[in-house]
Amino acid sequence: MAEPRTLGALLARAAGFPDTGLRLLDRFEREHWLPWPAIHERARAAAGRIRGAGVAAGERVALVYPTGEGFFDAFFGSLLAGAVPVPLYPPVRLGRLAEYSARTAAMLEAVGTRLVLADPGVRRLLGEAVERARPALGCRTLDELGDGASFEAAVDERALALIQFSSGTTVEPKPVALSQRAVLAQTRILNGLWPPRADGVDSGVSWLPLYHDMGLIGCVLPALERPGTLTLIPPELFVTRPAVWLRTISRHRATLSPAPNFAYSLCVDKIRDEELAGVDLSCWRVALNGAEPVAPRVLRAFCARFARWGFRAEALTPVYGLSEATLAVTFSELGRGFASRRFDRERLAAAAEAREHPDGIELVSVGRPLPGFSLEIRDPEGRALSAGRVGRVQVRGPSLMDGYLGRPEATAEALRDGWLDTGDLGFLHGGELFLTGRAKDVLILRGRCHAPSEVEHAVDAVDGVRTGCTVAVSHLPEGAAGEELLLLLEARRELAAADYPALGAAAARAVRSATGLAPDRVAVLAPGSLPRTSSGKLRRQEALRRWLAGELRPPAPVTPIRLAGAVARSALAMARSRRARGRG
Amino acid sequence: MSRSEAEVLAGIAEVARTHVGFQGYLSPELRLVEDLELDSLKMLTLALEVENHFRVCLDQEAAIETVGDLVAAIRAGLDG
Repeated sequence: MAEPRTLGALLARAAGFPDTGLRLLDRFEREHWLPWPAIHERARAAAGRIRGAGVAAGERVALVYPTGEGFFDAFFGSLLAGAVPVPLYPPVRLGRLAEYSARTAAMLEAVGTRLVLADPGVRRLLGEAVERARPALGCRTLDELGDGASFEAAVDERALALIQFSSGTTVEPKPVALSQRAVLAQTRILNGLWPPRADGVDSGVSWLPLYHDMGLIGCVLPALERPGTLTLIPPELFVTRPAVWLRTISRHRATLSPAPNFAYSLCVDKIRDEELAGVDLSCWRVALNGAEPVAPRVLRAFCARFARWGFRAEALTPVYGLSEATLAVTFSELGRGFASRRFDRERLAAAAEAREHPDGIELVSVGRPLPGFSLEIRDPEGRALSAGRVGRVQVRGPSLMDGYLGRPEATAEALRDGWLDTGDLGFLHGGELFLTGRAKDVLILRGRCHAPSEVEHAVDAVDGVRTGCTVAVSHLPEGAAGEELLLLLEARRELAAADYPALGAAAARAVRSATGLAPDRVAVLAPGSLPRTSSGKLRRQEALRRWLAGELRPPAPVTPIRLAGAVARSALAMARSRRARGRG
Repeated sequence: MSRSEAEVLAGIAEVARTHVGFQGYLSPELRLVEDLELDSLKMLTLALEVENHFRVCLDQEAAIETVGDLVAAIRAGLDG
């Protein structure tokens, strides 16, 4: 049989392996077995219904499902129908529905959604988003689509396989369009990293959401391609009971499991010893860590905490990627553990040059380019930089996106001559990539990208803030456990400095309320403090640089102690002037 | 078995204290998003832990905005 060239063909092939498939945990940690042959059969039936409803080849079907079998019916059903699935995240629980609706409507519109397929449980909450976006065929559950004969379309490998969003935003959603060819290339590269071994078969465990690239493309699709078995935990179960993740890995002797940095941190903070009775993590060969900057402190804490349960430090594998490259771009060497180096802070900041220094800032390597990928570090004018020089990370490889759907200008900015400008900053050292920051304006918090403009708009509504004069940036402070959200905002001219702390607190509340993100630090600045371009636009990354360099300081807050100091100083000055007068 | 509003409110307060470190006083008119000042991770945790505590499922409830709404939804779930 010819090598499959599409996801549908992969599914048809996997249907011949009844011992492999997906094991789905429900919220009570009960398991439900869904072998690939059953997934294939159900997908064929779903495809018939989707076609019957009026979805043509290449049209977009948005999917709103929690982790569960319904997602796979809709996802593979859309693919077999020849349509393009667009996985979106389900509504948040308790409140904040207005923000969810606005964001979801914007994403539905951005991809020209033909049909929204939703889980019966979340469908009621989608009403407002669907009403705004008005997809031609509305929002339905699969059951409502009526029966159609099972169907399986022939799909070209150049056709789109799926669309994922690089960051969910109401302002400028960027739908990343991935071809079948790109997705299959990425999947095969990943599986090539853990070839079949004499001592057993690799299997995975994931709690990552299925609308997240690391969950769907990084976990489900490689399991489909092998074909192999993957155990899926609902993300909300992980968030409330992170021990379930480790217990599941142990119970199924899983070898592969990825997560963003924050998940490792959450495990250290939340898991109690008694939740891990009988757990043995020695099977966990590859603990991938990606989707957000990797904090060395967290990796060390995780190793120290879970070594007792057999966790092997050499399993920790920091990686780097982005949705525009389908998923992964670089991988640390497997079985080595994480590697970090210390670099001279001054040189990094002032000369954009990486020089090792024993007391310098510790950075974690994210490894080398995957097979088929090349990396180049370039200066702002696009010239290639030599090793050790910090610049924009450019990527070339077999799984780059086709582009942002319907956004030719944004596509032309990101893709040039076959190279993808990642918008990330970093340098090469010993052939490995180290990331130092970002040139692009994006907040990366808990493995997810957010648009700074949404946070900034929330602050604009606060009384006392200069409209349009707030900057939201996130960065990984030295020694911190994860990226922190920093708000820099200018107060209105008439506001007294004594009122700045209250204004900062109000701004933080507004952000939490509107976006669900909690700012870690808020600095209220005097009017005109923030750097702007010649056309008056705020320069977020420059503002962050100045803040970190100590060049952006809030006016000295008037605290009782400082006030006392000021009074004392002025008393001294008075005395001096009296003496001076007396001599004169 | 139906429970009084006060009992349910006390249960929510206990969950909020234990699982998201909420220190304040919970009253029915407080708005979940604006007044409790929880980020989205804590809000999700609160929702799921409340479900676990009362053994109810709230994921189809669209209009829970205040603590009082939450109390009512839980009581409806307990009766259902």
